[in-house]
Amino acid sequence: MNIALYKKLFLLRKAEEKIREHYHEDEMKTPMHMSMGEEAIAVGVCHALSVDDQIFGTYRSHAIYLAKTGDTDNFFAEMYGKDTSFQRGKAGSMHLCAPESGFMGTSAIVGGIIPVAVGAAFANKQKGNGKYTAVFFGDGAIDEGVFWESINLASIMKLPILFVCEDNNLAVHTHKSLRQGYKSITDIVSQFEFNVLSSETTDVELIHKLACNAKELIDSTQKPCFLNLKYYRYLEHVGIGEDFDRGYRSKDEFLKWYAVDPIALQRKKLIEKGCQEEEIQKIETDIDNQINNSIKLAKSAPFADECILYENVFA
Amino acid sequence: MNNDLLTQYSGGVITYREALYQAMHYSLSKNPNVIIMGQGVDDHKGLFGTTLGLATEFGNDRVFDTPLAEEGVTGIAIGASLNGLYPILTHMRTDFVLVSMNQIINLLAKYKYMFGGLFEVPMFIRMVIGRSWGQGAQHSQSLQSLFAHIPGLTVIMPSSSQSILECYPYSYFRHRGPVLAIEHRLMYDIKFKVENIPVDANKSPFTSYKVRSGKDVSIVATSIMVLEAERAAHHLASEAGIECEIIDLNCISHPDKFMILKSVEKTGKLLIADTSWQAYGVCAEVCRIVCEHSVTALKSPVVTVGMQPSTCPTAKTLEDMFYPNLTELTDSIARLVTGNKDHGIPLPDEHSMADVYKKFKGPF
Repeated sequence: MNIALYKKLFLLRKAEEKIREHYHEDEMKTPMHMSMGEEAIAVGVCHALSVDDQIFGTYRSHAIYLAKTGDTDNFFAEMYGKDTSFQRGKAGSMHLCAPESGFMGTSAIVGGIIPVAVGAAFANKQKGNGKYTAVFFGDGAIDEGVFWESINLASIMKLPILFVCEDNNLAVHTHKSLRQGYKSITDIVSQFEFNVLSSETTDVELIHKLACNAKELIDSTQKPCFLNLKYYRYLEHVGIGEDFDRGYRSKDEFLKWYAVDPIALQRKKLIEKGCQEEEIQKIETDIDNQINNSIKLAKSAPFADECILYENVFA
Repeated sequence: MNNDLLTQYSGGVITYREALYQAMHYSLSKNPNVIIMGQGVDDHKGLFGTTLGLATEFGNDRVFDTPLAEEGVTGIAIGASLNGLYPILTHMRTDFVLVSMNQIINLLAKYKYMFGGLFEVPMFIRMVIGRSWGQGAQHSQSLQSLFAHIPGLTVIMPSSSQSILECYPYSYFRHRGPVLAIEHRLMYDIKFKVENIPVDANKSPFTSYKVRSGKDVSIVATSIMVLEAERAAHHLASEAGIECEIIDLNCISHPDKFMILKSVEKTGKLLIADTSWQAYGVCAEVCRIVCEHSVTALKSPVVTVGMQPSTCPTAKTLEDMFYPNLTELTDSIARLVTGNKDHGIPLPDEHSMADVYKKFKGPF
């Protein structure tokens, strides 16, 4: 499993690096909310879910898309806005989805998708299909009223849902100390009929274990679970650059987190467990090739015809 | 699938409220995925009688009350729909829907499109236009224009039991997208005759109806204003031999433009009577349709009738001024047809629509 987790982590990181490499070519015409830094959360949680389980995300969903599907062909086709994407270029980076893999949608309105995830969990419970739903959001979303409505509703309806808070302390550029009138979100959510788990680790295996534990608690207590996980957003809010010189955060902070980078951490673990360097490099090369190939396919694919503009507006 | 409900009531008479109740009952009994959720749907009032007893009959996992969290609850309906349930979400007043606009406009309307057609969100939102007895600013709005402006939303305003019995089952069983239905509180007790005509189950009822034919003026109306137009037309026919043609817009988001244009080309005179304000509303949109296609057919400027351009007041005297009444409507039509503001045609002495509908029960 260590290897499987590493493969996923490396895929996420490499895909983001490739986006950074190619973005200046101005062919991926979509705002990029990058996932660098949060890979352990995406991989750890998604690895604990089955292909039938459902996830919902935000406009910052590259990591959960890749973690849940492992696909890069469709991913890059959509980044390049091409017709070969299942979404025909209508979604862009902010509205990725993959219904076949249970990735059921995103919202670029902060907090907007959270009650939708609650509804999906409600239907799953009603149908008795045993599926779990995980909804990913940031600490910025916690400031939204609809987050609290969703926690309350999930609590009274006793739903099989994981609320995964990817806490990087920021809502765009505003630190949570300027936004939140309380010290501990976990304290407050614990006041609801909820299981609350939290960790500051960047170790994907620990996060995976926590997510598995969350599922068990949901089953045994018939209460939803709130997972408070921390990470550091390496890049700017939107875009492919770093912004440590902008005055609202320092590079020192970043370096502290980079010292425990999730991909580097897992790679080190593989070596410690006896994996050969060549073996790891082979994995990395294969993934690199996979991504390069996907980009190549995407670049040469056609755009959708004009008639596609009018498809799927109504029923 | 045939509309058994319509067949059952064809040729008969049924109140608006009863038609709504039957539509709710029918959906729950024929479609195991239907759920009804909203404030008070399972209580002793049952949303003005339209959901009374349904929780007992079908279970409170299918018909249930919700906390006052309109955005959260609407989001839940969307998510439930994604996973195969068919939610009917209810609001006692159209005004409360405003709290959930983020979900309706940013998600519900756009979900299918923005994910490239990979998802469907079939579901139904019922809301009621409050009217009279001091409903006031926030219990009286009629927001069809806000919703119909957004691509992706189907908006209907049933003006009769017929429309309910045609459109509601079609939404639940055949339509694979979101539908917003705006009902009028003052019509709930009115009895309507149901036409005994075979309805093509494959044809979408999300369109307009011609409820009266005439050569002198085209009246395009929504909701209760269709009834008002019919009363005015009846009066003008007997007092002055004026023949009004009345089109019930019915589906605000998908009006029958051809029907409207054909009518205006025939009569040359157009009056639009809507339940809401004129600016940027149904009145404005119907004018746009005519101006873009058949403006030269107009022999006179268009006349529009709606709420006065103010917030709704509560004192009855002010309220009666705020809403259009039959006297004013009839006068407007008479002036338009005769081209003369001193037309001399006797007008009905009715200055408060609310008073009338509280007493008048139909059948229409």
